[in-house]
Amino acid sequence: MIVELVNDLKNKNLEAEEYVERTYEKIGKYDKYTNAFITIRSKEEVLREVKENINKGGKLAGILIAIKDNISTKGIRTTCASKMLEDYIPPYDATVIEKLKKEGAVIVGKTNMDEFAMGSTTETSYFGPTRNPWNLERTPGGSSGGSGAALAAGYVELALGSDTGGSIRAPAAYNATFGLKPSYGTVSRFGLVAYANSLEQIGPMARNAEDLGLLFSIIAGPDDKDATTIDLSLNFEFKEQNVKNVRIGVLSDILEMSEKPVSGVIKDVIDKLSSEGALIEDTKLGNAEYALPAYYIIAMSEASSNLARYDGVRYGYSKYMEGNWREVYAKNRGEAFGIEVKRRILLGSFILSAGYYEEFYLKALKVRNLLKKSLDELFKKYDILVSPTMPILPPKIGEVINDPVRMYAMDLNTVIANLAAIPALSLPAGFYNDLPIGLQLMGKYLSDIYLINISSYIERNVTKLYNLTAPIKI
Amino acid sequence: MKIEVNENLIKHLENLSLIQLSQNEEKMLENNIANIIKFFEKINELDLSNVEPLFHPLPQGRLRKDTPRDPLDRENALKNVKRKENGYIVGPRTYGE
Repeated sequence: MIVELVNDLKNKNLEAEEYVERTYEKIGKYDKYTNAFITIRSKEEVLREVKENINKGGKLAGILIAIKDNISTKGIRTTCASKMLEDYIPPYDATVIEKLKKEGAVIVGKTNMDEFAMGSTTETSYFGPTRNPWNLERTPGGSSGGSGAALAAGYVELALGSDTGGSIRAPAAYNATFGLKPSYGTVSRFGLVAYANSLEQIGPMARNAEDLGLLFSIIAGPDDKDATTIDLSLNFEFKEQNVKNVRIGVLSDILEMSEKPVSGVIKDVIDKLSSEGALIEDTKLGNAEYALPAYYIIAMSEASSNLARYDGVRYGYSKYMEGNWREVYAKNRGEAFGIEVKRRILLGSFILSAGYYEEFYLKALKVRNLLKKSLDELFKKYDILVSPTMPILPPKIGEVINDPVRMYAMDLNTVIANLAAIPALSLPAGFYNDLPIGLQLMGKYLSDIYLINISSYIERNVTKLYNLTAPIKI
Repeated sequence: MKIEVNENLIKHLENLSLIQLSQNEEKMLENNIANIIKFFEKINELDLSNVEPLFHPLPQGRLRKDTPRDPLDRENALKNVKRKENGYIVGPRTYGE
């Protein structure tokens, strides 16, 4: 637990040297296999900062944290796992980074991800795929796969990810860790490299519910630099929330669309919740099969607009300069973007072009409204909704990457929360053939703390799965 | 609406997106894009005539006073620029062939 780690460092029960050495030793030994990091900072520099920060104090005084590589970190390169930004060094910190630094956290490195957060397996990275520490032949999920793997491998206790359609929860599920996609507007996106603004949020990832809550309490809050943040009325009181008499809706339509081994493990957890006194009822989201196409239409439309800024003139890959501006941009962009990014920009341009805007984009926004309304109705009857986080087990490296429609289908259960702006949390539910399976909890808008408190009870009393470290088998 | 995904459409999209594709990529994307559009067309099964579009999950943004703040200084702001001259960015030609 972070609270204990902070105290140990402060009271010198754990020396800063030993803490930093231990971390770098693990990373040195295993990251050549897991490839969780794109950039690792120098040990000397990190040790110096840890020592300084222990003295300064704060909720995370001296604690090492891993940051997804699409969050701007002043002076530390931020690549978005793309050739386009391979050597980009931000001249400023994202708001979440400022907040972490204020509490004494020290960035150990920047984690691998799908290029520009576009993918569900961390295989579209220009820097090569991340491998799942639980099984190196498998993907760690994506797009925050590096952060998920860094937690599962035990390199760090805390990490930040970003979630546009499940990018925090997929790696949380596949790495047997905890991840929260916060309610939209609770965490500033200033300094997050934009992909799909109306869907994405930065969020906390951790190895147990308590640490997840602590990290969330630090990064949440209104920000003058981000007009989409809200004035919070969250009560950051973390305590186990007993599930007795909690009204739980099981999304049976989503459960039925999941693989047998996955739904089996989830049904076991639901049975245990029931014997703990939770009020369980099967229910349906309705129109669930339309959520995925609607999500991808919206995400790609926003992506095509956001990624227009990469022209190789102000920053970014800039090999070509000969010819007129159209030729220069097209050549640089053609050479520096990976295939998934190109696919999404092209499709986004198509969807937003004359004649197709009404046909696709507007209709997708209408589906978004329908889904939000169904959820509003469901939350009148239930305190939380549960489902598997991912519909399938972690795929093998190379298994889904060449079939985009199959890869997109992995996000079936997670995109709903992004479309509707509600919070969703993934926690470890169990294992099948030693492969982790995650349980997803969704709650009404701004019920983030409630979800964390429920997951705290589940990890202690129901699944007893927390602080897990993968036995990396080389 | 029947959408034909062919070489011409891909060329048109390359042009709109300002992305030059290799021949292999053009071929691969022609195939992918046809499949993905088919997957998108699923939403046409729904009757959405009486549903309003939801553009953004939050009804309004936070506004702040329109007061000037200190921006990044020029040197820092231009740190990542590959081609610069006297504190300005050198861009590509915007006219001519």
